[in-house]
Amino acid sequence: MTLAFGTAAWADALVAEINTSSEYRNAAAKWGDGFNGNVLLVFDADSSFPKTNALLVELAKGACGGASFVEGVAHPRAGFGLRAPFSVWKDVLGGKTLAATAILTGKMKVEGDTMTLLKHTAAHRALVACAAALDTEFPAG
Amino acid sequence: MDKLYASLTRSLEGTVRTPDQFTDDQLQNYGRIFKWTPRFVVYPQSQKDIVALVAFCRSNTLHLTNRGSAHSQSQLAINQDGVLLEMLSMNRIGEVDEKNLTVDVEPGVVWRELTHHLAKRNLVPPVLTNNLGVTVGGTLSMAGIGVASFKYGSQGDNVVELDVVTGEGSVVTCSPEKNADLFWGAIAGLGSFGVITRARLQLRRMKPMTRTYYLLYDDLRVFLEDARSAMDSGTWDHLESWGAPCAQGTRPVAGKRQVFAKWFYPFHLTVEYDAGSPPDDAALLAGFRPYDNLYTDDCPTIDFLERMVPVFELWKKAGTWEFMHPWIECILPWETAADCIEQVLADTPPGIQFGGHVLLWPAKGTTSRSKNFMVPEGDNLVGFGLLPAVPQKFWGEMSERLENVSRMMLMFGAKRYLSGWVNFTPDEWKAHFGARWDELCALKRRYDPDAILNPGFLPFEAKP
Repeated sequence: MTLAFGTAAWADALVAEINTSSEYRNAAAKWGDGFNGNVLLVFDADSSFPKTNALLVELAKGACGGASFVEGVAHPRAGFGLRAPFSVWKDVLGGKTLAATAILTGKMKVEGDTMTLLKHTAAHRALVACAAALDTEFPAG
Repeated sequence: MDKLYASLTRSLEGTVRTPDQFTDDQLQNYGRIFKWTPRFVVYPQSQKDIVALVAFCRSNTLHLTNRGSAHSQSQLAINQDGVLLEMLSMNRIGEVDEKNLTVDVEPGVVWRELTHHLAKRNLVPPVLTNNLGVTVGGTLSMAGIGVASFKYGSQGDNVVELDVVTGEGSVVTCSPEKNADLFWGAIAGLGSFGVITRARLQLRRMKPMTRTYYLLYDDLRVFLEDARSAMDSGTWDHLESWGAPCAQGTRPVAGKRQVFAKWFYPFHLTVEYDAGSPPDDAALLAGFRPYDNLYTDDCPTIDFLERMVPVFELWKKAGTWEFMHPWIECILPWETAADCIEQVLADTPPGIQFGGHVLLWPAKGTTSRSKNFMVPEGDNLVGFGLLPAVPQKFWGEMSERLENVSRMMLMFGAKRYLSGWVNFTPDEWKAHFGARWDELCALKRRYDPDAILNPGFLPFEAKP
């Protein structure tokens, strides 16, 4: 079923996708173990999307405890942030750009301890793959 | 006929070839990533030829690129529209000075020829690269590292003196004591400031036999700790290790299934010995914690130095020698090495073994004086590299992933080794060399003011 990006239904579908992904369960088994693994994904407004969105994804030890769109570009419960213009996210989720490339070239900004993030590259890739797997209707831009 | 051909031929003792006579290999290097066509290929006979050629190139505004065996993989050892200098034609080995343990050689001498020449006297260069089919001039221009580098540094660290024809055509004899700026510019200088025409190499005495212990590790961190102990023990003459994948079926990666591996770490520790006085195995191996101790090999030292020949022969027979070789090699800080290696190998399919290699060497940060061979801070370092052979049709999907491996290495504090595929931006080059970059630019202005030498790789400003 096609889900509109930015809706609660889309966030719920992402939670379900993560929790049924063996890739995520294995790759992220140590993510959030002993540190705050919650990630705030910030989709900055640009010419392809008029409003900045932020999605808080609660992650620990290979599982997702919930996800919700929140106000602002920072959140007290987030341990890490991944932030990029919407067009960059769209390319990543559409498979045109590797998430690793976006992060390593600085197109996607990391907030939080970069070394911790680097040590769990497979976990972020699996997270992005879960989001990319959703049948998403993006706003026309 | 090219209008410059006659005058170029007249000015040289050596041979000049025009594009209709070029071989395909002369348009590319071992990387097979770039294909450039020079205007002339020159086989020089002497230093005098190099001086004449530099003058010719300056007066005709031609770029001059020198190459040995062309084992580089980026924009080195290839030339577009200028002169490609085939240094293999300058390959004379001079007298060996057994008292001072040195030998004078021309830059086109292949290390294999020199090694066999010296072995008859039980002498050897302190450091040899795994591939002995490369030239003295080539590896000195790169640094030249091998399985004895943990002990003796790079090949460039074992040079006593050089003759260099600078980019302005002067012949300069230089050493760490005399004209040191040019000497340390030439060592690992990628041919940016002059053409090496003679090298006086330091030698050491070798024992005629080697014993190698083939240990295998299943835990990277245990291996690294044992490797550090081995380096610090002062016992071993050669230390070699790498990553060996054991395929485990497929698993999803970014939603697509791909083959993945459990990685093991072979660790080969070698001592030289005199025939009749074999080493004490139990004493040497005390304290090591391998997953398995597979084999103990005795062979003449010269055979040990040639141990990679069967591997390279296999690559050639299998055809992978002709594939693209975008090798990504680096030197990692000890503190971040294990994390970086684990992340990279987790994503590296076991197929990399097909015509390729995963290099993993313990190294010391204290053994090299070279100013251009950049390494991270620290007493202990780890050399690490993905050395794939990539069929041309896979280049599109592989190049981005390999660039990400390089970027990840840099984020873990690594310095790249420059013989591989390096696709730095100008800012990344400056970060690579740090404070040395401004010194290199000053050397370029001084010794190659017309910027004719080896353009296309290091981002020196082109002459207006």
